[in-house]
Amino acid sequence: MSVAISLPAVLDLRAAEPLKTQLLAVRGQETTLDGSDVERLGGLCLQVLLSALATWRADGQALTFINVSEALASQWSAFGASAADLAPQGQLA
Amino acid sequence: MSDDPFEAIKVTFFQECSELLGDLETNLLALENGEGDIETINAVFRAVHSVKGGAGAFGLEDLVRFAHVFETLMDELRSGRKECDDVTIKTLLRASDVLADHIGAAQGVAPPVDAARSAGLVAELEVLTHGQAAAAAAAAPVAAAADEDDFGFTPLTLDLADFGAPVELPSLELPSLELPSLDLPDLAALTSAPLAAPSAAGWRIVFRPHPRLYASANDVSLLLRELTRLGQTSVELDASGLPSLEALEAEDAHLIWTIVLTGDVSEAAVRDVFDFVEMDCDLSITALGGAPASVEADLPPLPVLDAAPAEPEFDIAALLAKAAAPVEAPAPAPVVAAPEPAVVAAQAPVAAPAAPAPKPVAPAAPAAAAPSSPAAVAPVTIRVDLDRVDRLINVVGELVIQQAMLAQRVMESGLARSSDIALGLEDLELLTRDIQDSVMAIRAQPVKSVFQRMPRLVREVAEMTGKRVRLVTAGEDTEVDKTVVERLAEPITHMLRNAIDHGLESPEEREAAGKPAEGTVRLAALHRSGRIVIEISDDGKGINRPRVRGIAVDRGLIAEDAVLTDDEVDNLIFLPGFSTAETVTDVSGRGVGMDVVRRSIQALGGRISISSNPGKGSTFTLSLPLTLAVLDGMVVSAAEQTLVAPLSAIVESLTPRVEDIHHVGGHDAVIRFRDEFVPMVDVGRVMGFRDDATTLTGGVVMIVETEAGSRAALLVDAINGQRQVVIKSLETHYRHVDGVSAATILGDGSVALILDIDALVTAGRRKSNRPELKMAS
Repeated sequence: MSVAISLPAVLDLRAAEPLKTQLLAVRGQETTLDGSDVERLGGLCLQVLLSALATWRADGQALTFINVSEALASQWSAFGASAADLAPQGQLA
Repeated sequence: MSDDPFEAIKVTFFQECSELLGDLETNLLALENGEGDIETINAVFRAVHSVKGGAGAFGLEDLVRFAHVFETLMDELRSGRKECDDVTIKTLLRASDVLADHIGAAQGVAPPVDAARSAGLVAELEVLTHGQAAAAAAAAPVAAAADEDDFGFTPLTLDLADFGAPVELPSLELPSLELPSLDLPDLAALTSAPLAAPSAAGWRIVFRPHPRLYASANDVSLLLRELTRLGQTSVELDASGLPSLEALEAEDAHLIWTIVLTGDVSEAAVRDVFDFVEMDCDLSITALGGAPASVEADLPPLPVLDAAPAEPEFDIAALLAKAAAPVEAPAPAPVVAAPEPAVVAAQAPVAAPAAPAPKPVAPAAPAAAAPSSPAAVAPVTIRVDLDRVDRLINVVGELVIQQAMLAQRVMESGLARSSDIALGLEDLELLTRDIQDSVMAIRAQPVKSVFQRMPRLVREVAEMTGKRVRLVTAGEDTEVDKTVVERLAEPITHMLRNAIDHGLESPEEREAAGKPAEGTVRLAALHRSGRIVIEISDDGKGINRPRVRGIAVDRGLIAEDAVLTDDEVDNLIFLPGFSTAETVTDVSGRGVGMDVVRRSIQALGGRISISSNPGKGSTFTLSLPLTLAVLDGMVVSAAEQTLVAPLSAIVESLTPRVEDIHHVGGHDAVIRFRDEFVPMVDVGRVMGFRDDATTLTGGVVMIVETEAGSRAALLVDAINGQRQVVIKSLETHYRHVDGVSAATILGDGSVALILDIDALVTAGRRKSNRPELKMAS
């Protein structure tokens, strides 16, 4: 059973802490992140998301992005972050 | 302060702006005086750039646009492409005024900026930057660029590469598993292997933000975006330092970026992108292909995600320094900000136990700004809510009173002075005084903050009046209580206006009088006998005494036949409603005259006086207490009242002998004091405690010196001792009383008035011989 989290439109300085809290609350569960609303991604939220990906991976759980908006995709890659993590099947096998 | 972190950052931004404006003014004035060098120009550039950067983050577009044009000219100057001549400096000074207006308007503390003035200066700056012909052409794209750029970054005269193109947008269908996942980048990539074979020249930029970068509302995304505008970029992200989600503090910074930028881009252009965040990140910029291969061999082993926790922690700054060192770049050595130990600690790998990750330092704390050079150790400061300081000062004031009361009780109990308790009390007194001095020092500020505002005022008033003025300041570092500093601005402003408008002559008149066409106004601060003295002098025409006297008579301020000394005539201008301007000018004649200035100075426990030399100029002297909280005083009694005389005014105390006292005229008496006759002032009578003229002997005389330097002999009944008293404002609790500057609470709990020596001496003279001269109180 997968938990779904909808990412807010603006993932900036102010969104980092709430995002972390939100993610921690569902740790240990298979999770999907709906990125359809995302318009802006900042460095701090990027950190949270990358850390969450690594943490889920270490837990042997899947953390998957779905409905990735164009803005999220382009900003994610502009950061030099791995496109693989953003892809729908980005979890480790 | 607001809970909204953005609001809090904004408040800090404006605080920093005000400091930056101060620096800007100081450095521009240094340039104007020929004292500047390339570092001064750099400092001006940085100040404007920092303002622009912060303003961009808050979307203050007008401010960004203006700062951008300003900065572009500064860039030309610092690169040496343009010479920093007098015309340029004068324009820059006026531009700094408009920049201040923009900041004030953005902050909401000043009216909207005069658009015409701002546009005019933009045009002037552009002419200086591009030359007459190119300016018009440059204006449009620059404005457009600023519009387009939400965050007001670097000039767009540069090649605008398509933002996404060089990065290769991800195709979401990409089969992912072949790509490196999070236990990512081989850190060697940081400094060695080219990420993309740079066919053309270019730069490798290794960039690690500090938490402060984010805390000041900057973001890496913006910087990366700026870089893509310079040329083709390839961005590599190193997330190996990222802790697990639980251990991650959301405001910390753990990521490192390596950007390979190819294209014909100058190092300066790359540095510009990072210019206002360079204090908030570790940054290394090296030329592609320029670094010898041997460098990499020297690199320390780099940790990977699974590295044992015992492995030495990766010190990015040291690494970058090593990598940067051998580069034969003609440009300055790559900036390597001093590492912040706290941040280095946060490099703990994911697998490590939740390291106590550092909280981001509050953006308000300038201490968080790591110095760009390890040698330059910036003073560590914190910003503290003023209320807290004032509460502390108040409590310490009470402590002083309590300590005095305790000492008095002990004395009254008849304990020997050598007893342990008495000795302990003495120590306590010393300690109390130390605490008090230290607490006062917290509130002390240099008057610089006020003086810095004045050059602009002088420029504007000079422009309005058509006079040529040079402002000379001295003693800007003189420290005084913050409240005094703040309340000095208005009277100084008024007096400077007055000095230029009424004091200085027009250039023609000056030349006719054999003076240089440019008048000089001098603003100086100094400490004198425990007070701060501010002098505002001009080399103008001086006070026209017959006219001043005529006006005073016309307005019924003095009797027609009043006999006044020159000094007294000069001081008539402080009478309420007195204005010498024949026509009300925009500058100073608004009906509020020098009496208002005098009242505001008096409210601070200060005094103002003027001395004038016809044809040569006038000097206004303000004398103010250094602090409004404590005073060293002599406790005296007169007509059964306990009073305190400020120790700083007392020259000597003596018991008068009958033969030394001489009566002059009706009630006046003088005392011979070291071959000098000094007028006597009977304190009890002048203060109105008694009406009768008692015998002048039998009491004690204190020889006091007034601000003007004249002496008087205050007659009191007895001197009871010397002590530090805590000043309690009489105005706040009651009202202003002539001859009294404040009140205090003594050790026995009684209230004593603190004498205002100058006012008392003046009142003494009035009472005795010139009742017709009613000076304002």
